[in-house]
Amino acid sequence: MSAFAEFDQERQRIDSLIGQGYTITGIYEDLDGARVTFIRSEPAGEPVELLLLTADARKHVTALLVSGFRMVAVVESYS
Amino acid sequence: MADLSIDFAGIKSPNPFWLASAPPTNTGYQVQRAFEAGWGGAVWKTLGEPVINTSARFAAVHFGGQRVAGFNNIELITDRPLEVNLKEIYETKRRFPDHTIIASLMVEPKREKWHEIVKRVEAIGVDGLELNFGCPHGMAERGMGAASGQQPDLVLAQTAWVKEVATTPVIVKLTPNITDITVVARHAVKGGADAISLINTINSLAGVDIHSWNTIPNVGGQGAHGGYCGPAVKPIALSMVAECARDREVGVPISGIGGISTWQDVVEFMLMGSTGIQVCTAVMHHGFRIVEEMIDGLNHYLDGKGLASVTELIGQSVPRYSNWGDLDLNYKVVARINEENCINCNKCHIACEDASHQCIDMLTNAEGKAILQVREEDCVGCNLCSIVCPADGAIDMVALDSGLAPMSWNQRSRIISGVNGSYSEAEVV
Repeated sequence: MSAFAEFDQERQRIDSLIGQGYTITGIYEDLDGARVTFIRSEPAGEPVELLLLTADARKHVTALLVSGFRMVAVVESYS
Repeated sequence: MADLSIDFAGIKSPNPFWLASAPPTNTGYQVQRAFEAGWGGAVWKTLGEPVINTSARFAAVHFGGQRVAGFNNIELITDRPLEVNLKEIYETKRRFPDHTIIASLMVEPKREKWHEIVKRVEAIGVDGLELNFGCPHGMAERGMGAASGQQPDLVLAQTAWVKEVATTPVIVKLTPNITDITVVARHAVKGGADAISLINTINSLAGVDIHSWNTIPNVGGQGAHGGYCGPAVKPIALSMVAECARDREVGVPISGIGGISTWQDVVEFMLMGSTGIQVCTAVMHHGFRIVEEMIDGLNHYLDGKGLASVTELIGQSVPRYSNWGDLDLNYKVVARINEENCINCNKCHIACEDASHQCIDMLTNAEGKAILQVREEDCVGCNLCSIVCPADGAIDMVALDSGLAPMSWNQRSRIISGVNGSYSEAEVV
């Protein structure tokens, strides 16, 4: 599989959760990649954790935050 | 025609082209011929207690058909008494009063030794002093040169001793044989340095003769480490100049040295913060008259840019030299192969396949012609294919608009820390 295809699969999983109203509440990076925690308040549900392996997906998830796309939601989730 | 004159820490020079302290500035005969050829200044071969030099002294590294890609020497400072040098400096300055003569000095790290040589040298009329804290061989074993320059406190102390008696500007020449050259530069400034020059030569062994098993060079079958210079060291020198130029605690004029061979090299060093430059290896390879082409080339370049003075170049690229941690991770370039210029040598494919990200495919187009094509979505923009490509214009690196806001590693780390509610990443500088 091409590197782009691997990234694209991970990006689709991220974007799908965002599309379902999840917000990013934690990013923990270690030797195995980035563990990203998503939480949805409405309707409430269990947190979802994705382990992102590709560099582009790890960049994508933070680029979303930098762009402000989910920052408001993140701040709201802590308030 | 642009004005090529510079004012380097109060030292006036008709142009930024100076000869570095080295074999080409050993005698008045040489320096006067250099001035006649067009050099604006010369840093006289280092004065100190005269040494005895070895035979042989020099070696070169030839690479891929390029002679003297790098140059190695084990020659030390002047082997002539101080008075002989001073007499020739006096005569040279009298013949060329508008040209710059800097005396390079090296003595033991003792206050009275520095006072003595500074007073004697300045008495005959030089435009400035350059303290040689850089030579990596021979003198360093005696506690001078790089041995001094690798100890920041000793650089500070010796510079201060010189400044106690000096009446002309003091330039401190730095060794690259140290982890962080800005530390030494800052200590030189704390000691009162009016300017710095860098780099001196890099510790080196030019080679080993695989037939005789002797070192290159060797002195009767024995070798010793020397100092490396020439075109091969230019990127190292340029980086160190840039680091000093952007360090606000340094903040003094810089004389750039290291592999400068062409007017383009001069422009690069000046853009990266050098007020003037010094040349040695290129002169040892080609002679004094290379300066003619350097002057012509620089003049045409400045005219083409619409610049009235060469000083308008100084430091223009320094703000563009940053920390890795502040680079935009969302900036993306990809390779594009132009079929009309591609010679189908496949070097890009091999390089990408073996050493990068396997994104250049060997295909056959509709006319049955073999072509190379980049899968842009898999290309990371590493530049390797364009570096190894031998055909001009065959590969372009094209910037793509990612549509994303700029995001550096440091910004990313802060964002993650904010999301996680704690700081977990150190910033990258």
